[in-house]
Amino acid sequence: MPVIELSLSGRPKSGRVVGIDLGTTNSLVAYMSENGPEVIRDQSGNALVPSIVYFDDRQDRLLVGEDARDRLITEPRKAIYSVKRFMGKGSADVQEDLSLVPFQIAPDSEQVIGFQMGDRVFTPPEISAFILRDLKRRASRLFGEEVTQAVITVPAYFNDAERQATKDAGHLAGLEVLRIVNEPTAASLAYGIDNREEAIVAVYDLGGGTFDISILKLKDGIFEVLSTNGDTHLGGDDLDNRLITLVLNELQRSTGSGVANDPAGFQAIRNAVIKAKHDLSESGGTLIAIEAGAEFGIQYEREITRVELEGLIGDLVERTLGPCKQALKDANLDPEQIDEVVMVGGSTRIPLVRRRVRELFKREPHVELNPDEVVALGAAIQADVLAGGRRDLLLLDVTPLSLGIETMGGVVAKIINRNATIPASASEMFTTWADKQTGIDIHVLQGEREMVDDCRSLARFTLKGITPQPAGLPRIEVKFLIDANGILTVSARDVRTGDEQSIEVKPSYGLTDEQVEKMLLDSFEFAEEDLRKRQLIEARNEAETVIRAAEKALAGQANGLVDEQEREAISHTLDELRRAVGGEDYLLIREKTKALDDASQHLAEVIMDRAVLAALRDRKPSEVAEG
Amino acid sequence: MAEAAIDTEMTQQVCTQCMAPQSVQTHFCSACGSIQPVASGTDFFSFLGLPRKLRLDETELEKSFYALSRLFHPDYFMGATEAEQRASTERSSMLNVAYRTLRNGVARVQYLLSIEGRKEAEKKAPPDLLEEVFELNMQIEELKTARRLADENEIAGARSSLEDALAGLRAKLATIDEQLVALSDDWDSAFDRGAMPNERESLLDRMSEVLAHRSYIRNLVRDIEEVL
Repeated sequence: MPVIELSLSGRPKSGRVVGIDLGTTNSLVAYMSENGPEVIRDQSGNALVPSIVYFDDRQDRLLVGEDARDRLITEPRKAIYSVKRFMGKGSADVQEDLSLVPFQIAPDSEQVIGFQMGDRVFTPPEISAFILRDLKRRASRLFGEEVTQAVITVPAYFNDAERQATKDAGHLAGLEVLRIVNEPTAASLAYGIDNREEAIVAVYDLGGGTFDISILKLKDGIFEVLSTNGDTHLGGDDLDNRLITLVLNELQRSTGSGVANDPAGFQAIRNAVIKAKHDLSESGGTLIAIEAGAEFGIQYEREITRVELEGLIGDLVERTLGPCKQALKDANLDPEQIDEVVMVGGSTRIPLVRRRVRELFKREPHVELNPDEVVALGAAIQADVLAGGRRDLLLLDVTPLSLGIETMGGVVAKIINRNATIPASASEMFTTWADKQTGIDIHVLQGEREMVDDCRSLARFTLKGITPQPAGLPRIEVKFLIDANGILTVSARDVRTGDEQSIEVKPSYGLTDEQVEKMLLDSFEFAEEDLRKRQLIEARNEAETVIRAAEKALAGQANGLVDEQEREAISHTLDELRRAVGGEDYLLIREKTKALDDASQHLAEVIMDRAVLAALRDRKPSEVAEG
Repeated sequence: MAEAAIDTEMTQQVCTQCMAPQSVQTHFCSACGSIQPVASGTDFFSFLGLPRKLRLDETELEKSFYALSRLFHPDYFMGATEAEQRASTERSSMLNVAYRTLRNGVARVQYLLSIEGRKEAEKKAPPDLLEEVFELNMQIEELKTARRLADENEIAGARSSLEDALAGLRAKLATIDEQLVALSDDWDSAFDRGAMPNERESLLDRMSEVLAHRSYIRNLVRDIEEVL
């Protein structure tokens, strides 16, 4: 069978959906190729984009990835890294992190962190959006068309606010986020279905900033998550911090002066210990050597052994085992019942981590796939499912945290339990407690503890516009829905009238929809010039494709298939498009591209009909067209 | 009267896409195939096309959970109309809760009681346990006191008597679960025979009482586990 193209240019109608792993340390994008999922590399063959964003407010210069990494040392206050740890957080949540990073935090960071970069303030979703935009461009270049839809992964243990912040970031980057997928679940997709009919798989995911454990049951193409647990504040960064503290303390002792206040020196130390950490996964000993330390007034060099490192980080690795045991308990399984263990995330290269996991699950963990890429590959597979590419796979994920509402005395009443398969919903009935009361406040929280103060506040909802009645008479049914992204939506209905009840939402952490919309405009304004250039390139690329297809059709195949008048019309629009491509107006190019596509639509259909007929007669289409 | 009213409601249900009339249990429109919202008042048994019986084959239940997931999941409705996307989410979430509830024997009985109009039973101590409970609370207090005083001997003693008590309570739980299974069998055979309402009512009453005892003992077990 010949491949039948649905239009002359051969552009897919639905557009591509890519899979993105937005990581703490590195980010990457993957797509589904004919040969399966593939990561998208840059010209030098790198798939990983360091999750670092540099912004210079004086020159309005923005750098992302490798280029931004170079600035960590030269201009440390203008380069943000590990932004993922700040997603969906308020300043009170991240005091410890802030003591170890050189960033300046803007005032009013209680609900959303603001990074002060010169005169401008950027929130974590905006910084993440810059990284996403870079990945989006990388993918758009490969496909020769703008990519507008994506699946983005998050740690399984991310709460509602952290997921929402990730979705906001995608939106800000001009991506429609079709799905937020949990990283360990995505990884299990990439590892594929075991040859066995049925298998229980544990995915241990220790990344740059977060730890997840998920236990899945794989059966007939269904990936059913049985339980998940984790720690969104435990990863490679924390291991680095142990080493940084070691160096700082020793420097303090030997020189009597600290370097913590010099961000450039701090970055030099950070780079040195990260390198040493990586070395120690390969060998038993290495050197912590601070590159050009003299520039920062640092004289420091030290040998370190793997055993020493293990002593420094042992308790952190140990901290991952508690969540593993809890996940096993929640899934009602013993370690012996796990058929396969899969390792994900750069930190699982550390021998100590592998050893502890092996001991816990009593089996050798899988490390065949690159732990840095496996999540993005899985995201690409899920993207393909969502694009309608395949129906043999289905992910059934769970919500990591229980959802509850505040009741009398500051107690939380659980309405959806953790590890409930999503989408999950629950309905609760509310009424008034005072006569003529017209509003009801609902406080929604996430967490496993009993008291409000020990859980994470998600949002406050106010049911408004209740008809004044005696207390206790109104009956408002509130439906809480955790969608397939793990994100909560709330709707309410007056049971008596059946009318939808209006709800005002105040998220406790994160941005409101209005704020996101405003940022969207802001970032456009800021990137306008840049955007226009890119759009021009993309419009030209697209135009070239259509021009080539039209030329080919006119030259070889149009004879006798369509009348002269139609041929003329096509030639005419073709000329117009050629002229437009010579100019700088991308909107005009797009308009003329569409005109040519439309004008040649009929011809394309006729050629295609021929091809179909030819195929039916089991002849090659070229024979038909030429004969 | 009540049933007749429900009947009219059934025929009034129409497809959100093509307006063809639907029966309440259809997942998809019989005319155009589009996914339908869940009719209000649908219970988990009818949703899954199961009779309202308590003994069910868990392998079969899982099979139908997977099969229906493949039909309902939002993954497969990305390009569909908003109404269909909503219906897909609604059906998926109902399926998820229904599966979770019905696959567990105890939760299944609890759910049956709720749709048969029983209020959630208060936790109630089984009469033969009252004395034991008093004793247990004493022992829990003793252990706490011993810990405060860091009296190793006392701690060990209190621990071991609590552990014994725990084993006894777990055995009681097992007995209760057996009772529930027996009652479930009775319920199913009453269902198959088309038994009179009073027989069904008395079975429901007994299940309700056994469940109340069960949750009381569960709580005790949890308390002891916590303190140990």
